Amino acid sequence: MKVGGSYTLPLLRQRAHELLQDPAILARCMPGCEDLKKIGPDEYEMQMKVVVSAVQGLFAGKVRITDQKPPESFRLIVEGSGKVGFMKGDGLLTLVPATVTTGVSILGSEGTEVRYEGDVQVGGTLAGVGQRLLDSTAKMIIRKFFEKLAEAGAETEQAAIVP
Amino acid sequence: MATTITKTETLVGKRIRRKEDPRLITGTATYVDDIQMPGMHHACILRSPHGAARIRSINIKPAINQAGVVAVFIGKDIEAVGPVPCGASLPGLRVPAHSILAKDRVYYVGHPVAVAVATDRYIARDAIDLIEVDYEPLQAVSDPEKALEPGAPAVHPEWPDNTAFTFHQEGGEPEKAFKEAEVVVKQRITSQRLVPTSIETRGVVADYRSAEKNLTLYSSTQIPHLLRTLVAQMLGLAENRMRVITPEVGGGFGSKLNVYAEEALMGFVAMKIGKPVKWIESRRENFLCTIHGRGHVDYYEIAARRDGTVLGLRLKLIQDLGAYHQLLTPAIPTLSVLMMPGLYKFRNVIADIVGVFTNCVPTDAYRGAGRPEATHGIERMMDLLALELKMDPAELRLKNFPGKGEFPYLTATGLSYDSGDYAAPLKKALDMVDYHKLRNAQRDAKAKGRLMGIGISTYGEICAFGPSPATPAGGWESATVKIEPSGKVTVLTGTSPHGQGEETTFAQIAADELGVSMDDIIVLHGDTSIVQYGIGTFGSRSTAVGGPALYYALQDLKAKIKKFGEMLLESDDVTCSGGQCICNKTGKTIEFAQIAAASYRAMKLPPNTEPGLMATHFWEPPNFAFPFGAHIVVSEVDRDTGQVEIQRYVAVDDCVNIINPLLVDGQIHGGVAQGLGQALCEQAVYDENAQLITGELMDYALPKASTMPYIETGHTITPSPVNPLGVKGVGEAGTIGCSPAVVNSVVDALSHLGVRHIDMPLTSEKLWKLVRQGGQA
Amino acid sequence: MIPQNFEYSAPTSLKEALALIAKGDAKVLAGGMSLIPLMKLRLAAPEHVVDLSRIADLKSVHEDGKGEFPGGALHLGALATHFEIESSALVRSKCPLLAEVASNIGDVQVRNVGTIGGSTAHADPAADYPAGLMALEAKVHLTTAKGERTLPIDQFIVDALSTALKPNELVREIIVPVETRGTGFSYQKLAQPASGFAVVGVAARVRKSAGKVTFVRVGVTGLAGKAFRATRVEKLLEGTSGSAADIQKAAAQAAEGVDANTDLHASADYRRQMTKVFTARALTQALSRAD
Repeated sequence: MKVGGSYTLPLLRQRAHELLQDPAILARCMPGCEDLKKIGPDEYEMQMKVVVSAVQGLFAGKVRITDQKPPESFRLIVEGSGKVGFMKGDGLLTLVPATVTTGVSILGSEGTEVRYEGDVQVGGTLAGVGQRLLDSTAKMIIRKFFEKLAEAGAETEQAAIVP
Repeated sequence: MATTITKTETLVGKRIRRKEDPRLITGTATYVDDIQMPGMHHACILRSPHGAARIRSINIKPAINQAGVVAVFIGKDIEAVGPVPCGASLPGLRVPAHSILAKDRVYYVGHPVAVAVATDRYIARDAIDLIEVDYEPLQAVSDPEKALEPGAPAVHPEWPDNTAFTFHQEGGEPEKAFKEAEVVVKQRITSQRLVPTSIETRGVVADYRSAEKNLTLYSSTQIPHLLRTLVAQMLGLAENRMRVITPEVGGGFGSKLNVYAEEALMGFVAMKIGKPVKWIESRRENFLCTIHGRGHVDYYEIAARRDGTVLGLRLKLIQDLGAYHQLLTPAIPTLSVLMMPGLYKFRNVIADIVGVFTNCVPTDAYRGAGRPEATHGIERMMDLLALELKMDPAELRLKNFPGKGEFPYLTATGLSYDSGDYAAPLKKALDMVDYHKLRNAQRDAKAKGRLMGIGISTYGEICAFGPSPATPAGGWESATVKIEPSGKVTVLTGTSPHGQGEETTFAQIAADELGVSMDDIIVLHGDTSIVQYGIGTFGSRSTAVGGPALYYALQDLKAKIKKFGEMLLESDDVTCSGGQCICNKTGKTIEFAQIAAASYRAMKLPPNTEPGLMATHFWEPPNFAFPFGAHIVVSEVDRDTGQVEIQRYVAVDDCVNIINPLLVDGQIHGGVAQGLGQALCEQAVYDENAQLITGELMDYALPKASTMPYIETGHTITPSPVNPLGVKGVGEAGTIGCSPAVVNSVVDALSHLGVRHIDMPLTSEKLWKLVRQGGQA
Repeated sequence: MIPQNFEYSAPTSLKEALALIAKGDAKVLAGGMSLIPLMKLRLAAPEHVVDLSRIADLKSVHEDGKGEFPGGALHLGALATHFEIESSALVRSKCPLLAEVASNIGDVQVRNVGTIGGSTAHADPAADYPAGLMALEAKVHLTTAKGERTLPIDQFIVDALSTALKPNELVREIIVPVETRGTGFSYQKLAQPASGFAVVGVAARVRKSAGKVTFVRVGVTGLAGKAFRATRVEKLLEGTSGSAADIQKAAAQAAEGVDANTDLHASADYRRQMTKVFTARALTQALSRAD
């Protein structure tokens, strides 16, 4: 399944890039992330509990970041598996300076558009019976991730500015 | 004494309600899952979530440690069990070792990896969640054409070209025909994979009595006797110590014409744990692990003269086999090739099959088994030729049928069509729709911008499987008729009816022959300890092969009755009919029931005659039977949405003599429903990682009662010499005739936009795109 | 198709039910048309299932003159089944759009068991009700052991399969307006052939006065992650004479600016186009029924 889209963060590009590499931030923003451990350079181990309506799945997996071109782009590979199935997402994230049109940013209107484009493979029960809802749920999870990232970004900016 | 009621009315040919129905519609029939036994255990099977993967390790400890779990078996435990059998043989066929549990590798999503056995089914299901399998996922391939490309992932590493077999057949001088042709039409035509989806999934109960070394296997199958022979072999059991019982079967459609891993596996488990064990397939498993049907990519070429005379046919057939051969997997496309000329006089044909391994569940026989694919191909090609020649499709068909006087007609593929008048059902169907008026109505509709189409298909069917030399496991059928001492009649048939209604039709035949009431007749089947060996129910064979076996057994029995009648009436001028024997001189009569009593009492016996009234006949058919027919579909495509409405559906079938018109109509209706499913909505979709993404009824679209059109049925009767009852077969006819008629009508509706062909299923989005893009897909 | 072990409670009062779910990790069972299949597939494995079906209070369908809407309101208990709503004389006369939507859900078996509260709380992006509820500007009455609140439907449904419902909260009833006389209505749907869920479904309500369209409400389901009101369509049609051309012009905006879903049954492009087609159809029928 192809996924693609963009989300504008009220953050400068450098900062947005840093946040996207910060395990603590990632752990906080990935919906259902219960544990994220660094196991190597740009490689993390992760436990996730994804809850969507009544559906819940425990996934154990890995997050890898490759093709680093800070602060412009990087490739994100997320793999996870659990009883309900397994998934692998492989996407290129491109960060482009942009103007924030909605929401409040302490930076005024300067922001970063994160464009993502990639492929999600799903297997097991989820793939066999979840087709109808995969697209809308994947979009929802990505949306939630960026919302939380924007939130976290705003907080850290605040912390940096307020002594 | 004489409890048998003599009847005079003839029952064959009457619309008689099924004897089976009361138990089925009141919910009192016994299916496999209804079987309960003291001490019965339950099995649940862990299956691969991957299309292809290496198994690095399996840890069963967490499962086996659960309270209530009595055993967990994995691949290394079943070394002694033989492979899942493939009954088809083709020259050079590559047969992968098909063990009942995966060993070091899995080959498709759903591949059985382990079985957990527990005291109840909940614990068994929980247990398989606790088994830890470490898989190393490998590249999988699900598209048969991609599997043939160089560098494609190898389904079986030992055969990197993924080719299980190639098969070539030709007749006449095809190369010459194509060279001399005035017109050649080509098209790639697919018949997508389908999931048979019987209402009752598969299920097995195995009961092993170690003291007697007897295994009883209850299975929802179409072939109890073959199952016994083959599973006994797999388990190394003496066949006479194994009994297969087929309780009620809630639909098979060919998917239960098979020997599955689970059938042997449950036998193995029962023998290991010394307790009865039950396994009931879930709907998910049914989608993933029971065979699929179809799975063709066909490249057709047709050579013809400008006047519409067909000359030659060329077919390259790519069969998606899946990862293994089930019982008949590789044989199915060979049936397509046999039937590829359809009802037309193609004297020059050439066909090449490539059987391709993919990381999918195996394909095998599904209602029609090879013939719907062939009919779809040739009937689409005839329409394409008509389009090319600007000829009316009905006229083109009528021009190319063999004449009534040309039967038996020998086809270029080597078949002998026993009897036929192929123009008759087509003409009847054309009359039923008032064809010329209908074409005018279509012109008017199209002038107003409406997308109305008329589709015709004619079909010939190879059925009544079949002469034994042409079948993998014997093609005869058996029947036993017993008149019990009280005069009641018991019929044992080697067929295994599961919805077809032979308990009714065979009772009709026996009632007429013996002159007794149908209520005094019981038809038993599906128990290898009660019924003499038989072949089973599939390939439209039960009535066409099982019927004549019954007929001949009845003749033998009647001869014996006559001997007793002559003795008891003390005359050699005796006529037996209407449930009694009558002395033509004295007019004295004696009822069959009295004769039956006397035959068992055996105070006196006719010369050279044994006591009792029982006869068994094994009948070997001299040929297949070739019923035929024509379907016409009127459809309209919604310009805005692409939705198809079937406005009329006419089905005319010639299966010769009809024993019970109610059941024949039912077979046509059900067959058409499944044909419409293929034409309009059903498709088993594997993604590029070989995940079955239409893995449930939420995403796999079956036709529903509310979406079915009204089906107008008609019949023609062209006498056949093929058997004494003059019956052919009708179980698959509806399906075989349906899909091309539907697609032809929709292509006809869109042809003015330049549409020549549309692959099934005709989803609304596909059609909407064609309409929007002016015919360019 | 065998669920994991779970504790099962079937309280007979709302109070009891709220106390049970307040303990946490309970899943509420209404009609079970979504939850039970998920449990059988083990995609959902709640520790505790609280079955509401014995709570008579939640089944009531009644009219309340002074309620939430100026013209009066219909209160549909969360456990009212689709069949009850489709066949209720009260709903058919006072809020016929909702009855029409209910009659389009799934199949007879689903309609006999599925409930309006369950469907709304599940917030399936392709469910039929949300289109109707958006067009009706319905409200959702929620309750906890501690208090009650009422949310407009567009605030209740947050995203695909996500609502504003808190873990300790229950949907008590759905509140819809008693329809003003002369309001035309229609629900038009392209059903997915397997499940019957909406590829797209469009609910419309319209009023006319003196040859002008004075009021338009359009709710769309199936197209995106959640159902929504097509306000652009509404604005474009209001004030026109409601001619075929006006309808086409307005309906053409139905999918504008929406991130459309894709699945194996319909691409985003097809969904978008069908939203326009079915919006036009719903508006056309609604206008023909308005007087």
